[in-house]
Amino acid sequence: MLDRKMTFVSGKGGVGKSAVTASLALQAARRGLQVLVIGMVEGIGAGLHLSTKRLTYAPHLVRPGVTALAVNRSDALDEYLRLQLHVPRAAPTKVLSRALSVLAETAPGVREIVTIGKPVYEMWQGRYDLVLVDAPPLGQLFSYLRAPSTIAELVPGGPIRAQAERMSSALADPEAVSLVLVTTPDELPVLETKDTLELLEAEPVVGLDTVVVNRVLPDLQLDEATVATLPDGPHREAATHHLAVLAQQERWLDEMPAGPRLPYLFGIHTPAEVAEQLADIWDGQE
Amino acid sequence: MSTRVLVITGAGGVGKTTLSAALGVTAARHGLITCVMTVDPARRLANALGLESLDNHPEPVAEQPKLSAAMLDVSASWEATVHRHAEPEVANRLLNDPFFRALADRFPAAQAYAAGEQMSEHVESHRWDLIVVDTPPAGGGLDFYTAPARMREVIGGRLLRWLTGASIPGRRALYKVTARPALRLADTVLGGPLLEEIAEFLLDLRSLHDGISRRSKAIDAHLREATSIVVTTAEPTPLREARRFFEELEGGPGRPETVVFNRQLPERWTHSRNLRSPDIGSDLRIAARENLSRWAAEVRLQHEVKQEFVARYGLHLHEIPWADHSPTSVDALAGLLEESGDLADRLLS
Repeated sequence: MLDRKMTFVSGKGGVGKSAVTASLALQAARRGLQVLVIGMVEGIGAGLHLSTKRLTYAPHLVRPGVTALAVNRSDALDEYLRLQLHVPRAAPTKVLSRALSVLAETAPGVREIVTIGKPVYEMWQGRYDLVLVDAPPLGQLFSYLRAPSTIAELVPGGPIRAQAERMSSALADPEAVSLVLVTTPDELPVLETKDTLELLEAEPVVGLDTVVVNRVLPDLQLDEATVATLPDGPHREAATHHLAVLAQQERWLDEMPAGPRLPYLFGIHTPAEVAEQLADIWDGQE
Repeated sequence: MSTRVLVITGAGGVGKTTLSAALGVTAARHGLITCVMTVDPARRLANALGLESLDNHPEPVAEQPKLSAAMLDVSASWEATVHRHAEPEVANRLLNDPFFRALADRFPAAQAYAAGEQMSEHVESHRWDLIVVDTPPAGGGLDFYTAPARMREVIGGRLLRWLTGASIPGRRALYKVTARPALRLADTVLGGPLLEEIAEFLLDLRSLHDGISRRSKAIDAHLREATSIVVTTAEPTPLREARRFFEELEGGPGRPETVVFNRQLPERWTHSRNLRSPDIGSDLRIAARENLSRWAAEVRLQHEVKQEFVARYGLHLHEIPWADHSPTSVDALAGLLEESGDLADRLLS
């Protein structure tokens, strides 16, 4: 997961994709890589697990070896115009960016291409060994990954289209860019992940690396018959609950391809603790 | 017949749809003629209600007298909205416009607005004692409350004004505006007469303005009358979404007075220490003890999180135990609420 130039991490909301992104960043830094973490969803996300301060568009070193930034649309739009479309500074950028803002609110793909343009641009710049992207949740992921081709269909020619085509082929290069999907062993996340895997197969806009299953319960070391011999009370109740949840989890785990499994973290409080604990687990896994 | 509305909000995956259905079943059993309006039921939940497929039209639930269920069909709702508010010619042009489809499919407020229109239609039909609305997951349900105002803003010409300056031109003047050198330059960068196409689209969209403006104010009025409940688990992501209701909806409609914590573990698991069980070996005893202490740590975390949340926002707290299986029948759905104190009584009386 850490040997590409750029890795997108996505999953259904609430499965822990930001925590997993942050833990991968910490793990990569432990291996001596210079990592850039990009939060593509405004406000929250991986930043919460890495820093006590809110991430900004300007990159900040948040841990040794880990730099982080959050994409916001107006800065991204500005940068997109200047750095990617090479609109000269002398041009009336105000009118242009106002026009493009209107376009971004109405035309399919424009808002997304401006947002996804940031990580792609950072990868092209090559200032970091790895760009880790805390990507939008599954429901929106494809509208972002597909944005360059949407634009290419919508716009007959010109710089935006040329840039979109370059971006499309960069994203689709599995040697350079990959996607990690995160899920929990629960019904809705697994079903949504399966839908996404099918979509990816039909339309390989980006290469899939692996599916990480998060919050997997440990084995109990007690079977049902033994649990039944425990006296009435919390020990038996907790053991029964554990076995029942585990059985549900196994049913949904069976539906997922082989890949890394991360444990359920009991009673863990802060986002920073979660990221550190998961990063420790990666130590043992590869 | 006056209709009460319960709006169930919260992040995706916290059990909103299940709770909405459980409230619907319980209300029907209390004798209320009830409609549950859901967004996207999990397959098993639809099965639990004995329904194969759902759309905007409420379908009676065979297993449960007095209960009907409907599912929001966003594109059908938008089609109805456009036909209601625009001249036939404009309506057809809009419905075939790629920009319009993008707006309706993708703009989260557009989905939430469609849900609001559906809700209002059900309220105004006067067929129901109670409508339970399971809100779209975008924005943790917050969008449902902000959508009417946002739609007024989008359709009211904010975008068009950005493009053309202070005043909104007629169709003829529009060509002059887009022919200005600055916008011509924009078209060169963007590649094509895109802005002109967009400006035309925005003009068409504006013809919906009066209708949508009136309608969205009616939706706002229904929302002010409704009771809203926020559902969450003790996990950080859903809690963050739940907090937004109190931090971003200052004073307006939609501020919930009740929070339902789903997937809760029994507090008694934190009390017991000793395990006297002569029948099993010491290894197994250690395993059982370790397991309980892991879960007890989770119980303590849940407890802390709940107390903090309820105290900060001054809410009624209700809990739903962590169920080992999702409910697969109307009886199981009703059973879910029996374990959560007087939630049903408080909301339905």
